[in-house]
Amino acid sequence: MLFTTFNFIIFFPAVIFIYYLLPLKFRWTFLLIASYFFYINISPVYALLLFGVTITTYLFTNLISRTSSENKKKWLFIADIILTLLPLFFFKYYNFLNQSIIDLLVFLNIRWPLPNLNLLLPVGISFYTFMALGYSIDVYNEEIKPEKNFGIVALFLSFFPIVLSGPIERSKNMFHQFRGKLEFNYEKSVKGLQLILWGYFMKLVIADRVAIYVSAIFGNFEYHSGVSLLFATLLYPIQIYCDLGGYSLIAIGCANVMGIDINPNFHRPFFSTSMSEFWRRWHMSLIKWLTDYIYTPISFSLRKFHVWGIVFALMLTFFISGIWHGAALIYIVWGVFQGILLSIEAITNRKKATFLKKYNLNSKFLYVFFSCVFTYILFAFSLLIAGAVDSISEALTVIGKIFTNKQSLFINGTTLVYMFVGIVLLFLSELRDEFFPEKFKLFQNNNIYIRWGAYLTILFIIILLGVFNGGQFIYFKF
Amino acid sequence: MERTEVIDKLTLIFRTIFTDSSLVLTNEMTANDVDRWDSLSHMMLITEIEKTFSIKFKLKDLNKMRNVGAMIDTIIDKL
Repeated sequence: MLFTTFNFIIFFPAVIFIYYLLPLKFRWTFLLIASYFFYINISPVYALLLFGVTITTYLFTNLISRTSSENKKKWLFIADIILTLLPLFFFKYYNFLNQSIIDLLVFLNIRWPLPNLNLLLPVGISFYTFMALGYSIDVYNEEIKPEKNFGIVALFLSFFPIVLSGPIERSKNMFHQFRGKLEFNYEKSVKGLQLILWGYFMKLVIADRVAIYVSAIFGNFEYHSGVSLLFATLLYPIQIYCDLGGYSLIAIGCANVMGIDINPNFHRPFFSTSMSEFWRRWHMSLIKWLTDYIYTPISFSLRKFHVWGIVFALMLTFFISGIWHGAALIYIVWGVFQGILLSIEAITNRKKATFLKKYNLNSKFLYVFFSCVFTYILFAFSLLIAGAVDSISEALTVIGKIFTNKQSLFINGTTLVYMFVGIVLLFLSELRDEFFPEKFKLFQNNNIYIRWGAYLTILFIIILLGVFNGGQFIYFKF
Repeated sequence: MERTEVIDKLTLIFRTIFTDSSLVLTNEMTANDVDRWDSLSHMMLITEIEKTFSIKFKLKDLNKMRNVGAMIDTIIDKL
């Protein structure tokens, strides 16, 4: 049951209806039942895996907090981390490691066939595993007390709006909400519905429409011109943004309607003037997770090496980010590439800041504009190796053609026009939010006619221009 | 060591790291209030504080330092 399916359109209002009919004390229990129903509906067998990770997390976090011996605590923590990571490694990385070993053995002229497993990746496993790990680390670091109520931990890891693709939430943000009074809040519910509407707009009108064009180009890149490949390369970040960004807004919106706050996942990333700023605005819940649990501990332990400690921490963090995205060499190369870009910025940051201050460049339109464009282009080209095409050699072929093949642009009239309408609306909305947050309000306008006019216009655009037979959300494969 | 003495020494460290001789610390001050207070300068601050006060931080301490006031409290706890 995906957000874009008819089943969800029935499921969600039904959940809300029953949820608010129930007395306050039963609401979190009902949410837990609804969440498992939601997950079982997608993947019945793998719900057992989710349950297994939940039991592991619950048992070990409680054992860790009850143990007084630091040494014992450490071993319990290590066991917890290994057991929690085991399913993720098995389902996501077994075949990759297996194939790598086979390739190495073939290279060494040793023939020893190791069978690959034909298993589907349990949906959401990368997301709920990271949430479970974050909780365990927080308990071990005494940042949070372990939850005694198994149901609350189970709800945290299975909460249906976020279980499939995040945002990767923290126990610190969620437990107290589940334990507290889950009362109806009119403002929050309205905000939630607005986010859901805009999320569907991003997904159905933009992401799935752009996907038609981008897939047509990258799926047959050998036959397309350099201009078409360049155009598709530049469109792909918008597709990814509207796909995961749209999904995130629907997830946050659904939670808001139930009176629950979820941290944002994107903050207008295409207005970033540097890669480091970009990574503070893009897939924020994953980056915050990696920063807190990978980057900060490593850079802290290597602090005496100053900038080189930071560089090492950045490289390792983005190497892990690459592996998180997929068990393939292309994702590792993508992660290392991002690590290199950020390391260069870290090394040159002080000089750059002094230079910008001296000429007051941060307030100059042209500097900001070209910095945003440059950051966007860097990200777009990095995506070529992380999902747009299937291998590094294909990505290099595409780049080669972009610079050498001068044939004309592939035109798919309807797709381009519909896509253009959606992208222009998104750009105007983001431009307003970035530079004029108090002006040109539509969803937040005090005038009921303007507000409802905006809702109905967006709804109308979704019905008219949306792609309703589009595929899954891209991030489900992660 | 008195709190005021800690603040004086800490101010000197901040002024050196951020090359700003007019920087005045407040309890509520965070990375958002100081130019160039990024992860690199934060780690440089930590190293310099450890050296100046002859203390050793743990990762847990780092997480507690939500602002300069919390940073001062953590240093005093360690002395």
